[in-house]
Amino acid sequence: MIKWRTQLENYGLLLPSFFLTLVLGIYPVLWAIRYMFYDYKGYGKEIFIGFDNFVRLWSDDLFWNAVWNTGIYAGGKIIVTIPLSLVLAVLLNKGLKGRQIWRAIYFMPTVISSAVIAVVFYIIFNSYNGLLNQFLLKYHVISGSIDWLGPKYAMLTVIIVAIWGAIGNYMLLFLAGLQNIPGDLYESADIDGANSFQKFWKITVPMLGPVLQMIMMLAITVSLKGYESIMVLTEGGPVGRTEVMYLYVYKLLFPVSTGSVLIQEIGYGSAVGFATALIVGAVTGIYFFVSKRLNQIY
Amino acid sequence: MTLLGSFKTNMELASGATILPKHWMFTNYGEAWEKAKFSAYTWNSLFVSGASTVGTLLVASLAGYVVDRREFAGKRLFILMQASTMFISIGAVVLRPQFELMVKLHLNTSLWGVILILVSAHASTFFILLGFFKAIPRELDEAANLDGCSFLGIYGKIILPLLKPGLGVTALFAFRTGWNEYILPLVFTMNNPKLQTLTVGLTNLRYGNSAAMQTHLMLAGACLSMLPILIVYVFANKSFMQVTAGSVKG
Repeated sequence: MIKWRTQLENYGLLLPSFFLTLVLGIYPVLWAIRYMFYDYKGYGKEIFIGFDNFVRLWSDDLFWNAVWNTGIYAGGKIIVTIPLSLVLAVLLNKGLKGRQIWRAIYFMPTVISSAVIAVVFYIIFNSYNGLLNQFLLKYHVISGSIDWLGPKYAMLTVIIVAIWGAIGNYMLLFLAGLQNIPGDLYESADIDGANSFQKFWKITVPMLGPVLQMIMMLAITVSLKGYESIMVLTEGGPVGRTEVMYLYVYKLLFPVSTGSVLIQEIGYGSAVGFATALIVGAVTGIYFFVSKRLNQIY
Repeated sequence: MTLLGSFKTNMELASGATILPKHWMFTNYGEAWEKAKFSAYTWNSLFVSGASTVGTLLVASLAGYVVDRREFAGKRLFILMQASTMFISIGAVVLRPQFELMVKLHLNTSLWGVILILVSAHASTFFILLGFFKAIPRELDEAANLDGCSFLGIYGKIILPLLKPGLGVTALFAFRTGWNEYILPLVFTMNNPKLQTLTVGLTNLRYGNSAAMQTHLMLAGACLSMLPILIVYVFANKSFMQVTAGSVKG
């Protein structure tokens, strides 16, 4: 009798968590998986079409354009962010003057909403009365306004904003990793007469190996998934130049709110979303195995 | 730069790249607060992040309490389920079913839909709290039990007060998530401009229907929306860093 009451108590207290996770976490996934095989526009008939959505995906230039853009975006962001945040972390770890202030400055972007960050950068990079152009014009660095959000530079701008937002976070993770490297390693290197550059390459980087692997993994998944700030900054434009995979998915599912020219395609959107998730998963998986190999060689 | 810019006139912003404003336009804030309806946005933002923080903590701490202290059938399955919601994410795709669900429940006309979805994503809070539960000695439970305290009584009188550090850290985290959330409130307030949160309201100024972009208002609004989270950050510097060191953002 008592046992029975205890069990009831257990499940009763778990119920809110269980129920919410099931209904809002797992059910939507199943829902999306079902609609991958349907032609459904959000109204009217749902027609079962099997794998037709995936056939259509294969020849969808907009999708492949988004895949390409995501690659450039993620690649550009990671190539700059990871080395830069590592160097910053090493500098901060050495006890730079005003360390706390530097920490705060680099960390600030990570506590502010990426949507708000994007708004501020929109104001800065705006081509007609953007603050950056005004500044450059005034000091005669450029002779005419640069169209930062135009077809030529939009991707660069988007990547710069992403880098600005991400450096602080990775720097913090690197800092945590640096604190775990035993100090006597550096002491013995000092005795052997190693210079600081040698110490960095021969001790810091190898010792950070596992942390680096983890951070890279994080950086890859996060940058393949991110679309919030791009949505605010450029809406994927101009002419799809900054369209990334999940932004394309979002536009297929909620075309009204972005002012896009796409038609609401819930079935097809689900299929694209699934394909995107597969791509992200595959890239992360490949990275995981390759980096594991590399670690073993060391 | 944003802060300084927020005190300038629109003209000054558009024409010259001065660093300090010529006239300190504190009225920008007043104008943003009233004309651009930032008072309403702020209230909505506070409501969403406050309610979702409380909800997340309650749901996750109850679940964590049972999982840590009791044995029951399906425990492993429950943990697996929580873990899977953290790793299986197909991003934008689940927004649509979540939205349809809320329409069916008639929750799409209020912010409760957003709050429920935010609370449902409590897996990371659950796992962080689980760590804190382990640190609370079980002897305390047993002593209270001998004194005739019920399971729920122990939770309320002993566990929760001792869990304060853990709750504080996760509350910061949950509040920040709620405050910064953009896509969810955007989707749910498409037809209800009154319910827009700060992030949504601010970005909508960008596509403002007036011909001239109201840069000064946008900057004032941006400052307003950063302020609370920065204040919290300054006061909780240490614990904030601990949390974000383990979180996923970038």
